[in-house]
Amino acid sequence: MSEVERRLYRVYGFESTHDALTAEAVLRDAGVATTVMPTPRELGELCGIALRVAVEAAEDAEMAMRARAVVWRATMELLDR
Amino acid sequence: MPDRSHPLPDIVYLDHGATSWPKPDVVVDTVVRTMIEAGGNPGRSAHRIAMAASRAIVEARSAVATLLGVPDSRNVIFTSGSTAGLNLAIKGLLVPGDRVVVTSMEHNAVVRPLNLLATRGVIVDVVRADAAGRVDPDDVEAAVAAAPTRAVICQHASNVSGTIQPVGDLADIAHAAGALLIVDGSQGAGHLHVDLSALGADVYACSGHKALLGPQGVGILYLAEGVEPEELIQGGSGGRSEEPTQPRLRPDRYEAGTLNTPGIAGLGAAVRLLAEQGAEVRAAEVRLARRLHEGLLAIRGMRVLGPPPGEERVPIVSAVHDRIEPDRIAFELDRAYGVAVRAGLHCAPWAHETLGTLETGAVRFGVGWGVTESDVDRALEAVAEVCG
Repeated sequence: MSEVERRLYRVYGFESTHDALTAEAVLRDAGVATTVMPTPRELGELCGIALRVAVEAAEDAEMAMRARAVVWRATMELLDR
Repeated sequence: MPDRSHPLPDIVYLDHGATSWPKPDVVVDTVVRTMIEAGGNPGRSAHRIAMAASRAIVEARSAVATLLGVPDSRNVIFTSGSTAGLNLAIKGLLVPGDRVVVTSMEHNAVVRPLNLLATRGVIVDVVRADAAGRVDPDDVEAAVAAAPTRAVICQHASNVSGTIQPVGDLADIAHAAGALLIVDGSQGAGHLHVDLSALGADVYACSGHKALLGPQGVGILYLAEGVEPEELIQGGSGGRSEEPTQPRLRPDRYEAGTLNTPGIAGLGAAVRLLAEQGAEVRAAEVRLARRLHEGLLAIRGMRVLGPPPGEERVPIVSAVHDRIEPDRIAFELDRAYGVAVRAGLHCAPWAHETLGTLETGAVRFGVGWGVTESDVDRALEAVAEVCG
């Protein structure tokens, strides 16, 4: 595998798929780039779908989700490609 | 996409009380496209084909919530149909010793679960509707006042007589007595403008495939905040997999197992169409049902069940003839004239007993999306010949 620059992401875990996908739509509306990913085990007993946001955009993401009453249950930071 | 070179059969379809047909092209196209492009398992994996399925479900749930006036779409549960939703609500909320007040117009989707629960100690008291199928709120109030009541159960509109019930009044009566109102909306949603944020129902179950124009095999169950029936089915929900118990959050609690993604996506397409065209569709249904009603009354020997012309009803018009049996009329209409209607008891023996037609049944004409004035006239001419 070739060398690829790694970035720091914040990963959000949700109680349900419904909440995760609602969050995805909210972030899309807010112009925050996000990627769906399987929920890392470290986030605990949550739904199987998590959202990953570049750490620099996390503040915007959280502001957008709070404004639309979208609740995330856990976060973690992840260094990834 | 579906091959439109296959023409629809040349029939006058007036069995919308059973299911709507044909479906709008956008519904058929969405079902097929979903099977091709979104064929993963929703709410499970995070890969693109599963996510496409998950998004289809969320978008459909949001569209249904918007159409029915539900502020939080998590309170919209997808079921396999009205019957499944009503079974979940009735069996999940009532326990032995509970008393329920129910109207005499109910469908077997309510009657049969209640009959089973009655053998397990649930007390079922029936309020009789009048000869046109109307439920008097005063009678319900008196019944509720007679003894502690857990729930009132009433249909939004009759699948036999088209009679619209005063569910808003019944909600007030039920709530004043500390009871829940469970509404069978099978013939309501789509035919009537339904705003669940104002109606007052604690539970509203409806079909996706009738006047909401979706595919068969999909239904909707609305549960108000704080109404928590025990789920009837436990199993995989896509989340909290370590826990042996069913998660309590909605909608996951009530949607164990793999959902009918193509059907739900098709329903989503249907309700988006109704959000744009619903008022126009409903106005046409009212006009055509009135034409049908008056046309049937003009045929010698024909009696139409339910309210008289001019009184509000959903576009269901059932009739009996004084000489020709309903099943004979329906058979001849189909065989010789290509007119599709339904004869019999319509899974609603209580309603037929109330309307005085338990012995004979009736022939039911149901108007819906796509029916034209010429369809109604062709049906009326055929009925006149069959009964002439």
